[in-house]
Amino acid sequence: MAHDRIPENVPLLHLSGGGLGAALLRGATLVGAVAFVVTLFRDSSLAWKSYVVSWSYFTSIAAGGVAVAVVTWIVKAKWNWPVRRIHQSFSAFLPFSFLLFLPMLAFLREDYFPWIGMMADDAIVQKKQAWLNVPFLVSRNVVGVIALFGLALGFVYLALRPDMGRLRAASAVGEDDESSPRKTSWWVERLSAGWLGDAEEAERSYRRMTKMGPVVILVYAVVMTMLAFDWAMSLEPHWFSTLFGGWYFMGAFWGGLAATACIATWLKDRDEAVGRHIGTPVLWDLGKLTFAFTVFWTYLLWSQYIVIWYGKLPWEQAWINTRTGVPWGGLSALVVVLCFVVPFAGLLGARPKKNPRVLRAFASIVLAGLWLWHYMLVFPSLHHAGDPVFAIETPLIGLMFLGLFLTSVRWFLSTFPVVQAWQPPVDPEPLEAEGTS
Amino acid sequence: MATADLGKRGALPNPDVETYGEVNRDILKVLSRPGKGWWILFGLALAGVGLFLGSWFVQIVRGIGVSGLNAPVGWGVYITTFVFWVGIAHSGTLISAILFLFRAPWRQSIYRASEAMTVFAVMTAGLFPLIHVGRVWHAYWLVPYPNDRFLWPNFRSPLVWDVFAVTTYFTVSAVFFYLGTIPDLAAARDQARGLRQKFYKIVSLGWRGTDREWHHFSKAYIYLAALATPLVLSVHSVVSWDFAMSIVPGWHTTIFAPYFVAGAIFSGVAMVITLVVPMRKYFGLEKYLTVKHFEAMAKLCLLTGSIVLYAYLVEYFLAWYSGEPPERGSFWNRAFGHYWWANWTMLTCNGLVPIMLWFKRVRRSIAALFVISIFINIGMWFERFVIIVTSLSHEYEPWAWGLYRPSLVEMGILVGSFAWFGFWFLLFTRLLPPVAIAEMKEVVPPPLRGKAPADEAGAAAPAGSAT
Repeated sequence: MAHDRIPENVPLLHLSGGGLGAALLRGATLVGAVAFVVTLFRDSSLAWKSYVVSWSYFTSIAAGGVAVAVVTWIVKAKWNWPVRRIHQSFSAFLPFSFLLFLPMLAFLREDYFPWIGMMADDAIVQKKQAWLNVPFLVSRNVVGVIALFGLALGFVYLALRPDMGRLRAASAVGEDDESSPRKTSWWVERLSAGWLGDAEEAERSYRRMTKMGPVVILVYAVVMTMLAFDWAMSLEPHWFSTLFGGWYFMGAFWGGLAATACIATWLKDRDEAVGRHIGTPVLWDLGKLTFAFTVFWTYLLWSQYIVIWYGKLPWEQAWINTRTGVPWGGLSALVVVLCFVVPFAGLLGARPKKNPRVLRAFASIVLAGLWLWHYMLVFPSLHHAGDPVFAIETPLIGLMFLGLFLTSVRWFLSTFPVVQAWQPPVDPEPLEAEGTS
Repeated sequence: MATADLGKRGALPNPDVETYGEVNRDILKVLSRPGKGWWILFGLALAGVGLFLGSWFVQIVRGIGVSGLNAPVGWGVYITTFVFWVGIAHSGTLISAILFLFRAPWRQSIYRASEAMTVFAVMTAGLFPLIHVGRVWHAYWLVPYPNDRFLWPNFRSPLVWDVFAVTTYFTVSAVFFYLGTIPDLAAARDQARGLRQKFYKIVSLGWRGTDREWHHFSKAYIYLAALATPLVLSVHSVVSWDFAMSIVPGWHTTIFAPYFVAGAIFSGVAMVITLVVPMRKYFGLEKYLTVKHFEAMAKLCLLTGSIVLYAYLVEYFLAWYSGEPPERGSFWNRAFGHYWWANWTMLTCNGLVPIMLWFKRVRRSIAALFVISIFINIGMWFERFVIIVTSLSHEYEPWAWGLYRPSLVEMGILVGSFAWFGFWFLLFTRLLPPVAIAEMKEVVPPPLRGKAPADEAGAAAPAGSAT
């Protein structure tokens, strides 16, 4: 297949930083932050719920993006060579995500976790005390998130490193001055410390990434399950669904794919040099995967829905009844439309997947749908009579996260080469056929 | 790395195979005269089929009472074995359809055997509902059609969904299997003589290997692959819902559908390893089924095994987390109740033993993989036994708890089902090329007149010709 041919020499390309876009993103972050502070004084519960929704959404896209990078690495995928760096770039949000996580752990108590208040007189919740208690909640979340983010960043570091030597050599000669911002040198210096030489670095990264990849995925599955259980499922303390964690982390993985499709198509339109590398085949494949996960996500939703509907156990149905009845039914239907109906119909054919604008439109719809999905995981569970179903503050607070996420992705792509110049050898092992002697 | 190599990234060439003629000779050799070992195995399989039919006959004559089924355990070894065989069937379609869509080239030398396995496993599984209903002469009641009073069967019953799911799956996988064999049947036709040649002539549908034929063939193949892919998920999901829809503690849980699908692929890949290792040795196919193929299958086992382990852990955790006494009691009973041995066999075979697959040395040792694959097969049978029998024996009310003990007739049918499956698989190795000849040729340097640089030729040549 022709598109598996990876060119020998990929130039070191950078996204040009600054400009109107960067200013807009900074503005969005600022607006979001102000909205959060103002809402905090007016309706602290709304402010925090909105904060958690956007935190979990952008964190899952960042973690999901890295998971896509790792999974495609493990299976030795070749198709995504021009967009590997885009998957990796989402990891730049993880340090911010960690900082933004700390206030959630520090300040969210009875207002957010109903089980704290129910512990006194609810017999069923009392039985869960070994899991549902604040010290354990805080400690497992800190440990889990540090493990996941640390491993994800470690993996991305290994993937970046072989390019750093080349980048350093290029800046020393001066050939790279035009496109790379001045600040890169510090990061390049840091990330290429103790350089062993091109071939050896490539070998070492390959070996370590291959060893590390499966561990990242295991930790991803476990930690994302924990986040789903703690920050969404436990909000209705009597309710449980064994698939909930899997649904959450596969949704995150899908978010990582759709976001890659959005950024890749945007880069293709914006930057001619980069766009030349992001060819139709890779967009087609991104489109196919975005489509496939549309179906898969819906399958996971359906697998939970049908079992609960059929079983007709009141404590199981409560969660769904809340979301399908008044006043949440409309928004739930909208989630299904945005996450299934529209992308399924739109991305079914080959042509829409190959057209950058159309693909971006559908991937954006998916991303919007996923945000609303995160919203629906949290808000209906914590709804009190008189609360609005949807308040404008929620997306406004989301702007803070959106701005930070895109700023960090933008920083990553302008600091490090947009297209990974170093490509792994696919199979360095000898291809012997055994037992023929 | 040289550009030529970059172009072939990921393909699994077979360095010891050089010409198309060699591929035809080596693989079609399998179809020539059977050796002593084959006849011994075939004899054993026939004896087992005898046991199978004999046991079933006893049950038909004396009634379903000869089984150990009772209230509350109304589903026992038969349904366990049904789910086991449906599960085994899964990896065939996974390997042939999903890996095809994902462009994983290592599937090429194992997919034929695994597709055949799929078809025979569904044929085995399909017998079990008939056996389980007891009065088999009424088995056609399973087919959804209205009776004399125009009453339809209950479409809300997952058992009716099962009939649809399994028959659809059988149809699609059989068509997919047959389509893939057509070019190879033509290759066999060209080498066979006499009656065999006539047989191959009919079943190869006059294939000549022209460009036009290949064009249609590859179109049909990709469409069928795309149709078969959702089926891999749907069939076992529906089978899982046979259980999950009821509110039996231990059955009624949302993770069942993906968990059953992963488990099915886990057991199916293990069964492929179990079958292909002796086949490779006996027929001298080492050149075509290399260590790399086995390593790839081992990795697939590792992935699906990890999903299964995740499901076990989440199930145990949420059973505790539910705070519901019946839910908690059911899982406590699983681990420490009357059937503790079944549960721990399952956890050892499916959870502990596959941990060895994390080590590359184990994944590259065919002997080790063979042993591990047998453990997985055993573990996956016990998984279904644990789910079905222990859950039923320990539902809500203590006065309704009860035990089940499989009878000799049931064990005879269980053992016999393996023989029935083996019987078909052995016949398959004699009648159809067990490795896809046409696909093997894709990775062999094509025959060209004169001298041509190897990599350019690789790009320009048509993908394998039939003869």
